Amino acid sequence: MSQAAPHQVLLEIRNLNKNFGGLQAISDVSMDLPAGVITTLVGPNGAGKTTLFNMITGHLVPTSGTVHWLGQSLNGIEPWKIARMGIARTFQDLRLFSHMTVEENIMTVMERNSWLWQTGADAVRKRVDEILEETGLADKRTERAVDLAYAERKFLSLARIMASKAKLWLLDEPASGLDPRSFDRFVALLREYAAKGVTICIIEHNLDIVIQLSDRVAFLDQGKLLAQGSSDDILKDPHLAAIYFGERS
Amino acid sequence: MLAYLQNIAVLFCINAILALTLNFIMGYAGIFSLAHAIFFGVGAYTAAYLALHVTDSLLICIAASAALSAVLSMVLALPALRVRGEYFVAASLGLQVIGVTIFSEWKSVTGGLGGMIGIPPPKLFGYTFGSQASYLTLAFVILLAVLGITALLVRGSFGRSLMAIRDSESAAQAYGKHVNAVKTLSVAVSAGLAGVAGTLYAFYMSFVNVEGFMLDMSILLMAMVIIGGTGTLFGPIVGAALLMALPAALTYLPFIPQSELGTIQQIIYGLAMVLLMMFRPGGLVGGRSKEKSA
Repeated sequence: MSQAAPHQVLLEIRNLNKNFGGLQAISDVSMDLPAGVITTLVGPNGAGKTTLFNMITGHLVPTSGTVHWLGQSLNGIEPWKIARMGIARTFQDLRLFSHMTVEENIMTVMERNSWLWQTGADAVRKRVDEILEETGLADKRTERAVDLAYAERKFLSLARIMASKAKLWLLDEPASGLDPRSFDRFVALLREYAAKGVTICIIEHNLDIVIQLSDRVAFLDQGKLLAQGSSDDILKDPHLAAIYFGERS
Repeated sequence: MLAYLQNIAVLFCINAILALTLNFIMGYAGIFSLAHAIFFGVGAYTAAYLALHVTDSLLICIAASAALSAVLSMVLALPALRVRGEYFVAASLGLQVIGVTIFSEWKSVTGGLGGMIGIPPPKLFGYTFGSQASYLTLAFVILLAVLGITALLVRGSFGRSLMAIRDSESAAQAYGKHVNAVKTLSVAVSAGLAGVAGTLYAFYMSFVNVEGFMLDMSILLMAMVIIGGTGTLFGPIVGAALLMALPAALTYLPFIPQSELGTIQQIIYGLAMVLLMMFRPGGLVGGRSKEKSA
């Protein structure tokens, strides 16, 4: 994984809008994701956080506005091409390759093409072993994803993105539902990869994650980016707290 | 008696190839096609036409049948593959209907409803597969070859890509899989190998007509895959063996009148499918449970 210069803007979002019929899911959002910075998107349900991820990764086409990755426009580019450019994501509902083994889930992410003969098969196996160790899934390698416990599925979701070699990770509620021990291990892994140079953007409702991990917090509500700043600034703002906890006036 | 068993064995090999190739897209890529018999038919008609008008060389006929079936499947499937799940099943049903219409109406090439007769036995390096025993050997070798190709594909990176797409198309895309290319290629491989089965069938029967490639054939193949075990390597072979052996076995039961064999056979197929889906949804080879949870 090649590292970008610290604080170089990797992803630039400008005046992004998304309408679903009469509903404006994203409204004039502009923000940057600088290299090496962990950004957390917070906001109440329906704020447009996942819609924003879907537009960055090409799963949804913006109604208007632009998304640039390292200076190149992502508008109209298919999701698989965006993935190969270095942007990977997880899904809130995980979307694991359920009937494949844990090992196969990781291996297939590392295989950039589907040709019969792969180059660097030994390196792939070595990296798969490393990831299995890091995520604590080594003894589950031959089990099908569908047969894993919930926390193990969460770690497999993380293992896939670790295998992707992406520069930017978009994590959609990665730690929700984890028990405290798994949660600590999860946070430690994210910290480790951020220190290695991965840029991370997280959608999270768990305020512990927001406080423990975030360099920067962006607050969305009803499709609008209301504020950006440090976690202290955002979480201590009584107006934003009222919106977050559903006490809007 | 020997000739009868050899006949069943040859037809088993042909059906097992078809079930294997249908399982390749159905079990590994999650593409449920009701048009598999059409690509079987394209292979059979291609081989028959070449053997009657150009050459009886087995290699040339196999290559041409496989190539034409694969290319046609890509042309026909490309728009259809853009739709998912049950929509593709409906689209493939449309392909099946169109295919049957062309087979029965394009009289100058297919011979229409009467089909093509008098197909000579194939030749390979000067050897003519004239006897049933030699043809059984040929069919068995080709079945093994198709099994080997399928195993090689599904156990490698291509198979992993297929299964990833089957399990979650959006996640596969999010991790760099070119879903349309992989799906189209898988359909082409499946149709191409079904075309090879068509070649074997045309030479073995020495005639072809549209009745061998109707919707009930596509459904029978799907039943072989489901009963044997979807997404397993040997399941389709077990399914084909079972469904080929059943009609033969029924004829030995003295208390079933000959005139009722067909009806009883259909009831047994139906009952077997219902019971399997209830108690062993993974099929005979696939195991007791398809999945533990959603």
